[in-house]
Amino acid sequence: MNTEHEPFSELAVVYALGALDGEDLVQFRTHLQTGCTECNRTLEDAHAALAHLAQGLSEPPPRRLRSAVIGRIAGDTGPRAGARFWTGFRWAASVAVAAGVLAAVASALVAVRYEARMGQLAREVSGLRDQARQQDLLLRLLGDPATQVVALAGLDVSPGAQGRIVWHEREGGLFFATNLPPIPREKAYELWIIAAGKPIPAGVFSVDVEGHGRLRVAPLPGPVRVDQFAVTLEPAAGVPAPTGTMYLASKAPG
Amino acid sequence: MPTDTVELIRRMAGGDRYAFGAFYDRYAPLAFGLIRRILRNAAEAEEVLQEVFLELWVSAHTFDPARGTPEAWVVMRARSRGIDRARSIRRKSEGMAQLSGGTVPDAVPDPAMRAEGREIVRGVLGQLPASQQEVIELAFFDGLTQSEIAARVGQPLGTVKTRMRLGLEKLRELAGRLR
Repeated sequence: MNTEHEPFSELAVVYALGALDGEDLVQFRTHLQTGCTECNRTLEDAHAALAHLAQGLSEPPPRRLRSAVIGRIAGDTGPRAGARFWTGFRWAASVAVAAGVLAAVASALVAVRYEARMGQLAREVSGLRDQARQQDLLLRLLGDPATQVVALAGLDVSPGAQGRIVWHEREGGLFFATNLPPIPREKAYELWIIAAGKPIPAGVFSVDVEGHGRLRVAPLPGPVRVDQFAVTLEPAAGVPAPTGTMYLASKAPG
Repeated sequence: MPTDTVELIRRMAGGDRYAFGAFYDRYAPLAFGLIRRILRNAAEAEEVLQEVFLELWVSAHTFDPARGTPEAWVVMRARSRGIDRARSIRRKSEGMAQLSGGTVPDAVPDPAMRAEGREIVRGVLGQLPASQQEVIELAFFDGLTQSEIAARVGQPLGTVKTRMRLGLEKLRELAGRLR
């Protein structure tokens, strides 16, 4: 066994249980970023074991929830309406008419699937374009001597969280966060630029399951000296002045 | 891993609502039982279940069968959202308690939930030593971190980590036997 790697095997198990915190969490995430196959395998095995544990609790949800969920993804109750149609159809239609209708339904289904696929591809292309634009901006900013890179540290509610903002007075910047706790749908993290003692809203962002988030930050109007950056938890639409708990902050000007 | 499930997820990624219905039928009981165990409240669990399946629908294209099973994908998402909701409820209770100058009462599970809690201990977890059961339950179902668990059980952090590792190894072994 690789003894140098051994501590990470233990940390991987605690991570899979969602219980890693503090310095251990930072250390393990840094290690995971190296692409460690052994730790990834440990995580997969641990998740499979936890899935097995959850199987012992299986319980059918109330039937009405199925229609509610499917209604929410579709915007209507398509599958149930389809079932009623087919039941009536079998009794009423002749074989010839059935063949015609089947062809029409099949065409419609193909069209719906095609549109869904096109929509998905369009979303993917749009996402990739955004990423490319942000990477271009990042390279441009990093090559400019006027750019600052400011670190934000996690506060009491999220000691393992970290943030970085690549900031340029005229261009604005890019903000990156890691290890932020997951948040409910109705909430978002909001970035604040503190200038002349006042917090200015700089945009809201959410995080993925790993706690990573990023945000393109627009430049402030006019030349303003930025004192500090901070992140608070706010309603998903954002608020004009901070109201929630602060999760990240850069050092205050000395 | 059943390849038909992977195919269902692939079809979901392509916008196939019928595949989503079949996927829901297969996995909603797994997610619902877990979320109920975490939240100990059926109404909250119903809401979270819907959120979880909406998320699975939207993120179906991110599922990679080489990196885990569909069961693990569903369970880890359900667990994460359940814990988020539990923390949110806890924060609201704390806020209310601060406003009223009182203290936060512990969640009171309904009698069915208490019976269910005992059942799981008799089940898979019941095959683990009590000390390992305890740390796994506190982490996985109650969402406590290793430091919080160490403080709760009054043991050093290293002991808590070791108990988690040994417990998970045993769970893996039990899961392997049933495959």
